[in-house]
Amino acid sequence: MSASNPFSGDNDSARRRETAMRWLLRLGSYFVVFVTVAIFAHISHKGLPALLKPEFPYIDTSFLTELPGTLHVIEDKQGRVTQTSPQEAETIKKQLGNELRSEKTISYAGGGILGPIVGTALLVLVSVTVALFLGVCCAIYLSEYAKKGKFIEMVRLAILNLAGVPSVVFGLFGLGAFVLTAPVLTDLPADRAVFVIPLGFTNLSFQGWDTCVLSGGFTLAFVILPVIITASEQCLQAVPQGFRETSMALGATRWQTIWRSVLPFATPGILTSTILGIARAAGETAPIMFTAALAFKDKLPWQKDLPPLPADAGMFAHWEQSVQRCLGVFTESVQALPYHIYTLAAKIPQNEYSEQAQYGSVFVFLILVASLAATSIWLRIHLRKKYKW
Amino acid sequence: MDFCYGSKAALQGIHLDVEYHRVTALIGPSGCGKSTLLRCINRMNDRVAGARVSKGEILVKGKNIHDADVDLTQLRKQVGMVFQKSNPFPKTIYENVAYGLRVHGVKDKTAIDEAVERSLTQAALWDELKDRLHAHALGLSGGQQQRLCIARAIATMPDVLLMDEPCSALDPIATLKIEELITQLARDYTVVIVTHNMQQAVRVSDFTAFLHLGKLVEFAPTEELFTNPREKLTDSYLRGTFS
Repeated sequence: MSASNPFSGDNDSARRRETAMRWLLRLGSYFVVFVTVAIFAHISHKGLPALLKPEFPYIDTSFLTELPGTLHVIEDKQGRVTQTSPQEAETIKKQLGNELRSEKTISYAGGGILGPIVGTALLVLVSVTVALFLGVCCAIYLSEYAKKGKFIEMVRLAILNLAGVPSVVFGLFGLGAFVLTAPVLTDLPADRAVFVIPLGFTNLSFQGWDTCVLSGGFTLAFVILPVIITASEQCLQAVPQGFRETSMALGATRWQTIWRSVLPFATPGILTSTILGIARAAGETAPIMFTAALAFKDKLPWQKDLPPLPADAGMFAHWEQSVQRCLGVFTESVQALPYHIYTLAAKIPQNEYSEQAQYGSVFVFLILVASLAATSIWLRIHLRKKYKW
Repeated sequence: MDFCYGSKAALQGIHLDVEYHRVTALIGPSGCGKSTLLRCINRMNDRVAGARVSKGEILVKGKNIHDADVDLTQLRKQVGMVFQKSNPFPKTIYENVAYGLRVHGVKDKTAIDEAVERSLTQAALWDELKDRLHAHALGLSGGQQQRLCIARAIATMPDVLLMDEPCSALDPIATLKIEELITQLARDYTVVIVTHNMQQAVRVSDFTAFLHLGKLVEFAPTEELFTNPREKLTDSYLRGTFS
């Protein structure tokens, strides 16, 4: 006698819907993965050659170590094409003599992208320093000190709204606030200063910082500030209340409690969100367009012409000039990767010769962002192990 | 003393004299205000928005703790607290015990070493843990963690030790150890303990206060309260006719 199955299903439509939904969700996820992989594959395929060369050791670092320049494309009468830099173009043309058939020049597409990489690094450095400081202060205040109430809700709302502001608006804000009106200490205020406060020994002049790394970095800081505040606050809230209570019950002040028993355990999360903030800051174009970035610059920020020192200059003068050179990088305008990509994509003629620089820049940028993301994951795993509760 | 959360009165007309170097137990049904009362004594309720003592005063060592010239950190240094859930910091055993000293600015390493040894000894942990003081505190068992929390609380040499259901998350053997410990601690500290477990109150305390709905129903020497309660309410609670 075969026993009848007491668990036989009877609701076919529910089961069908279950299967249909599972496949819908699965296909949706697969599609996203497919698109991401396709983008990466396409960019790698087209961009990787910029970092390779046909001979051993196959890796060509010149794309990473040279400044951008004009690309010269020279064709001789046999139809052989050479892509080269302006200097070498002259020699090649002399060698070819009458054999020269045509020469094309494409701005920005030659050389490497060292300038933009350095510029982006400096912008990120400034923006993350500023955003981390302001963001963590704000998050600690909101999470630990502020009394719950209408005011705090309004501050939170304002921060969320800040995240929704289009980045070009941040750019214009940065132009108005940092480039044109931010205060500087100077003995000789510029005519365009909004107003000047005499301090006796010098003047505090609201004349702006000009387009420079500092202006761009501060602007970018405000772009990533909402992310950092929100994430930091969540990380602080995730630290068990018990730590705070215990610490206070042992007679710690609020700051001692935060410093010893809250912040250390929120740090992994804060750092993770910071690194994601870095990726965002590195990729923004609009905020730096008006505040820091140049389409082209043939010098690195520290290659500035300073007055030559007299031959008998002492140690101190040399030292002072080095410091001046180092600090000077923050008051220089720079090239930046995302803006360079924009320039290559939109401001120069599109042809087979400009393609390599375009895809190469994008590829390098993607690698940088991917390695930042990887760092953040590594950091999270590593620190979680250390500060586990 | 009256106490309220915002407009909601949590404690009314409590009058309680806690005896020096004795164990006083606070018992009563859930929500009767035992923990609130306990947390009044070191002003932990200050952290709760709207919570305040609305009438009366709390004197510790003869000083009204709500006076303007009372420094909260000093109050809490001298009135230590052990929580219901054992909650050591995710640091080493040594750092857990040293925490209170460090926040009070003790820098001298030998002083901290001595305090750690003394506290762990008093908490009956020294022999078990002296060889791994720098191990992570979360590697300890539940009972050890709670004793570590006691050691941490007594490291600053408080006069009063408040304990909020210190055994509620522990197994019977760990509970027994903590109870022994409480009895011993009463030699050096004035202990106030909140407990759900009436047998525990009998075992560890010298005095018992029975609270019901925010009011102090009866306060008497433990033996007297349990064998011969004056109030009917106390009697029916002890018999288990309501909880």
